[in-house]
Amino acid sequence: MSELFDLTPEQRQLVDLPPQSRIFLEGPAGTGKTTAGAARLLRLLEAGIPASEILILLPQRTLGTPYLEALNQPEAFTGGMVSLLTVGGLARRMVELFWPLISAQAGFSRPDEPPTFLTLETAQYYMAHLVRPLLGEGYFESLTIDRNRLYSQILDNLNKAAVVGFPHTEIGERLLAASDAEPSQVRIYQDAQECANRFRGYCLENNLLDFSLQLEVFAHHLWGLPQCRDYLNASYRHLIFDNLEEDTPVAHDLVRDWLPEIDSALLIYDHDAGYRRFLGADPDHACLLKDGCEQHILFEASLVSAPAVQALNLGLGDRINRSRQPLPAEDPRPALLYETHRFFPEMLEWVTGQIASLVYDEGLPPGQIVVMAPFLSDSLRFALANRLEARQIPVRSHRPSRSLREEPPAQCLLTLAAIAHPQWGFTPGKFDLAYALMQAIEGLDLVRAQLLTEIVYHVRQGAPTLSAFDQIIPETQARITYLFGERYDTLRLWLEQYQQDAQDEAHILPLDHFLSRLFGEVLSQPGFGFHASYDAGQVTANLVESIQKFRWVAAPTFGQTDAALGKEYIEMVKDGVIAAQYLSGWQIEAEDAVLLAPAYTFLMNNRPVEVQFWLDVGSRAWADRLEQPLTHPYVLSRAWQPNTQWTAVEEIATSQERLYRLATGLLRRCHSRLYLGLSELGEQGMEQRGPLLLAFQRLLRDLAALEEQS
Amino acid sequence: MTVRLRPHQAQILAYKRGWMGVSAVPGSGKTWTLSYLAADLITRGALDDEQEILIVTLVNSAVDNFYQRISAFVQQRGLLPNYGYRVRTLHGLAHDIVRERPDLLGLDTRFQVIDEREADAIRSDVARSWLQSHLYDLDAYLDPSLEENRLDWVRREPLVKTVESIALNLIRYAKDLGYTPDLLAQRLEESNVPLPLAQMGAEMYTHYQRALAYRGAVDFDDLIRLALQALQRDPSLLEYLQTRWPYILEDEAQDSSQLQESILRLLSGEQGNWVRVGDPNQAIYETFTTANPRYLRQFLHTPGVIQRHLPNSGRSTPGIIHLANYLVHWTQSEHPTEPVRDALQSPPEIEPTPPDDPQPNPPDEDTRIHLIMRKYGPAEEIQAVADSLERWLPENPEATVAVLTPRNTRAFELVNELNQRHIPCHDGMLRSSSATRFSAGALAHLLRYLADGRSAGKLAKAYEVWRRNDRGEEAARALMEQAAELLRKITHVEDFIWPGPHHDWLAETGLEESNPEAFQQLEEFRTLVRRWQAAVVLPIDQIVLTLAQDLLEEPAELALAHKLALLLRRASQEHPDWQINELTSELAIIAKNERRFLGFSEEDSGFDPEKHKGVVVVSTLHKAKGLEWDRVYLMSVNNYDFPSGMGYDQYISEKWFIRDHLNLEAEALAQVDILHSHDQFLWYEEGQATAQARLDYIRERLRLLYVGITRARKELVITWNSGRSGETQPAIPLVALQGFLEK
Repeated sequence: MSELFDLTPEQRQLVDLPPQSRIFLEGPAGTGKTTAGAARLLRLLEAGIPASEILILLPQRTLGTPYLEALNQPEAFTGGMVSLLTVGGLARRMVELFWPLISAQAGFSRPDEPPTFLTLETAQYYMAHLVRPLLGEGYFESLTIDRNRLYSQILDNLNKAAVVGFPHTEIGERLLAASDAEPSQVRIYQDAQECANRFRGYCLENNLLDFSLQLEVFAHHLWGLPQCRDYLNASYRHLIFDNLEEDTPVAHDLVRDWLPEIDSALLIYDHDAGYRRFLGADPDHACLLKDGCEQHILFEASLVSAPAVQALNLGLGDRINRSRQPLPAEDPRPALLYETHRFFPEMLEWVTGQIASLVYDEGLPPGQIVVMAPFLSDSLRFALANRLEARQIPVRSHRPSRSLREEPPAQCLLTLAAIAHPQWGFTPGKFDLAYALMQAIEGLDLVRAQLLTEIVYHVRQGAPTLSAFDQIIPETQARITYLFGERYDTLRLWLEQYQQDAQDEAHILPLDHFLSRLFGEVLSQPGFGFHASYDAGQVTANLVESIQKFRWVAAPTFGQTDAALGKEYIEMVKDGVIAAQYLSGWQIEAEDAVLLAPAYTFLMNNRPVEVQFWLDVGSRAWADRLEQPLTHPYVLSRAWQPNTQWTAVEEIATSQERLYRLATGLLRRCHSRLYLGLSELGEQGMEQRGPLLLAFQRLLRDLAALEEQS
Repeated sequence: MTVRLRPHQAQILAYKRGWMGVSAVPGSGKTWTLSYLAADLITRGALDDEQEILIVTLVNSAVDNFYQRISAFVQQRGLLPNYGYRVRTLHGLAHDIVRERPDLLGLDTRFQVIDEREADAIRSDVARSWLQSHLYDLDAYLDPSLEENRLDWVRREPLVKTVESIALNLIRYAKDLGYTPDLLAQRLEESNVPLPLAQMGAEMYTHYQRALAYRGAVDFDDLIRLALQALQRDPSLLEYLQTRWPYILEDEAQDSSQLQESILRLLSGEQGNWVRVGDPNQAIYETFTTANPRYLRQFLHTPGVIQRHLPNSGRSTPGIIHLANYLVHWTQSEHPTEPVRDALQSPPEIEPTPPDDPQPNPPDEDTRIHLIMRKYGPAEEIQAVADSLERWLPENPEATVAVLTPRNTRAFELVNELNQRHIPCHDGMLRSSSATRFSAGALAHLLRYLADGRSAGKLAKAYEVWRRNDRGEEAARALMEQAAELLRKITHVEDFIWPGPHHDWLAETGLEESNPEAFQQLEEFRTLVRRWQAAVVLPIDQIVLTLAQDLLEEPAELALAHKLALLLRRASQEHPDWQINELTSELAIIAKNERRFLGFSEEDSGFDPEKHKGVVVVSTLHKAKGLEWDRVYLMSVNNYDFPSGMGYDQYISEKWFIRDHLNLEAEALAQVDILHSHDQFLWYEEGQATAQARLDYIRERLRLLYVGITRARKELVITWNSGRSGETQPAIPLVALQGFLEK
């Protein structure tokens, strides 16, 4: 089975090591490590190891795709299930399983009742619930920040404490000790600590487990518990741990403890990575696991990048690091294409033209092209997708940090839900309905949608109602067209039927069920807007999942009915507290379409492509640290020396390192060419001079100087 | 390429290192010289790879100007443009610095800088609500002779404006001095003297900052204060920036505020390289700020600072130059109020360019100076100037002309008169800006169409907006109007934009045969409208940006569109129930200039008088800085707008309903000053600040007159009027100039 892969001699050598080996495999991205890991997995199965005894541990589930694909090939083995988990997922399973044994000692107030696991957004919901009153009392007054980002940073601090492994009560102290901020800012750390304490207290009181508490309970109360350890050892005998540089110190600790007890291990470590540092990843700490392995293997040769791309990577990296290395011997210029424009839209035209030429003249599959920016604003995404679609080039996109209320398909669904539930008392505006119809009915344009809405939509006694298409005068029917009219009626009748059923309270569906049905029975059908839209389907799935989790979590604590929770959910979405910023959605389906993505999303998707476009090269965001000012990935890391101050020296050094890792990481996932879309004025009409642009300028200047010499 | 340098320029360009101060005169080529120096330093190899020359200037137009010039110079020398230099306004620089370490300052990475318009709105709210809850607190400052019924009205109407103005000035001043609201309140508590105005200001300051924090935003003044704070708190940041910017070239240094000076002083370091160029005689932005030309003068006289002059100016005829120089001499030696004799300084005085200079002065025989001493009423003055223009304009179609007034209202009165007489005039510099009105208006038209997709009239309007550049050329204009007329007559818009299989309006027009050009334009327009319609489901800011990307290309317009997008985004966040039509109304309000909207004016993108030949440009004196015209009119040069400290003078900042002619803004700041002072023998004495403010105002007005005179290349006309009361006198400096001319 491992012959399914076309392996290099080095890879073959690794795969063929005896099954009972503990191997530490390291090397830069693009050197075939994960491929070797997947082949090794198949080899273990070939050797007769039961699939159920194999655990694949990953910092993020999407990184498991290559393993799943290997297992899903028709030629691959049958029978048994390989477990693919994150440490967090493992923790949650164990907490669920052994809850009765540890709930009391872990400090929960109602140890006899079942636990409730919080998602990122339900945790945010509770945090908002607790912190909002404090803001009125003057908490965080000297801080300039959006409220929802404030909540998420407090949660983030709790998570950092858990994954790094220090008591959550030390968060404020640690941040304070490193801060050189002015005295009026000092109080915010105390405030942040107080909020973290209250949140933890509330969770313990109500059997709520956010990510941090799941992990802490697992690490402190279960890992040392003989029953749990025996269970784990009996379940899993073989471990593959990929991308351990993206995982956290506590994850590393657990695996280091575990290594001597299991039969085999393959640990895979990427050089120059650590892209999840803002989530607590600690690549330096990951190296400690090397000692637990007998076999150390290094892959160095890139299997991905053409020589010119490798030279570009080297030359650019040196210039980011400001090292005075001479230019690489190989000429990087064939791999680098760029054109400077004055305005951002001009640059987008150029990018579109280049992509069209790649697809139509060179025959490159669109799926081999990625367009990246440090932030992918909606207008950029929209402007580019629109231009590409106008040239019949398929596009897909992903932005993990987009808030639900800004997703047009989500708005469409929630508008229709409001119409189906007049008892909630929401009356969508005419524009909302026109937009919803425009999206719900395939092909319906804005003009006809507005015309239709104007005629059929009324608010009667505070309740939104829709009238039938056949009540419209024939001339107008013809304008709207009978095709759209028929589709509209299908939708309307469906909503009406639901409303009638729901007059009996028992037939009111939970909001997520309602949307699933609406999607499944109407919107995803041919003739309706979500039928052919991958994005809309994805948003629906995310919305449904978000509501479901909210309902599961909030119902026991607040004891509300499903119907009331639906209303509550919509209100939370409007308030921006629930953003459904679905980190879980980082997975991007392999599909032959040009990918538009933020740079880090592309990286964490870990799929090399033929050609990359980098836009907004002048932006500082390529190097910036996120998640400020209430939390701090470096100060709250394990390596940080207590009582040292974080100053510009550290800021500049880490930002340079971050940029280096990002740029090299991207280029190592690039086969043949990099295009730079340069515009003097950025998207916001401002001149930008970020460090990435400066590094490219240096590189180009050095190349020009070299040419002059020769 | 060899450039002929004037001897004074050559001296400046010989600069190698250290601190250098340059006093320049109007029209002496400061920008050219500084740009040349920057290019020189770059060519000399004075910089390492990582380093840049930092150029700091006052307004955005100057930023563009510097970039263009320096990049031209470096390209002439065979180097890459945009490499090795960075041009910033003080705000831009502060933004760069703050972005290095937002966490240090309690800022989220995505902090917003609030627009001046919105800051105004917040301040106004804060002031009103303060006054509502302290209705009688300021009674001690009101004129005791006011009758009770009048008093009540004063508290509710004119006093509000005064309190708003105190809020604006005091908050800005407190920020300039580095006070947070907490610190100011604390100082007030420690003070054992009652300081009611400072107390009021401090309370408003607290509310204002809270309102900003709630929005996750800082204002422009915060940006500068925070930048200084970052440099002071983090020595390693300072060191890093000092290394990055080993040379600092500062333009318009006479308008440098205390904070700007502190920031640049820190960035330069005592051993650093800092070149400051300015004309202390043109410092006209100082009222109630910590800016003061004194700083530049002090700098020039600091031991070790290299002192240079740029005295040659090819702008004006010798006659005009003499007049301007005379104003300086008269002020220094004969001004009736002795303390203000330092308002204008020399040397250097303006000197014509040397013989064979590439920029020779206009010949003296072209000089025309008319100082009209006749007593006009306000309306008569307008008539007289309009009459004069009506005569002069047809005879000089190729010349440039401006009418400059001390205040906006006066300028608008003139514009109305000129419009009535159909005299071509340009008033763009008076409004927040013509660019603002235009592109905000353009966007509003498009949004209005999107809100009502079925309207053929709105569609036609959107088309006209899209083809707006066709207006200039006759054939194109005719084509556009014809197409717009066709669109206006469409019965069912969907038959054009989204035609069904049986009915395509555009195809049925027959234009493809009869007028292929119009057909092509309409087809293109249809594609655009489809794109815009698809965008309506997006949040408002993204709709605006999408439209802007298709519609605008001027950098100022694009930047403005982004700003509008942000404003609308915020409006929609504050009013989640607002739909596209409400947001469009908001945009229309901005477009109509009903609310103040500062930012991307034509001035900022570089107003060019040469593009307005044969048209009367009407502007305030302040906005005319840096510009020149063949003929210049200065209006309202009387003792109200240009007082001289005479007993009968009246002052605009001293309100009739306040007792003892107190200038409350000045008194409020003086109360803050006392808190700031460490000198225990200094105490607050009411009225002193008012007197001081009078002197400062007289000084600034003298400089404003100087700026006005030096805008003229060949011809200068000055008039005055007797004011509303009929008792206003000609300004004393005007009388002095007249005396000089008669001699």
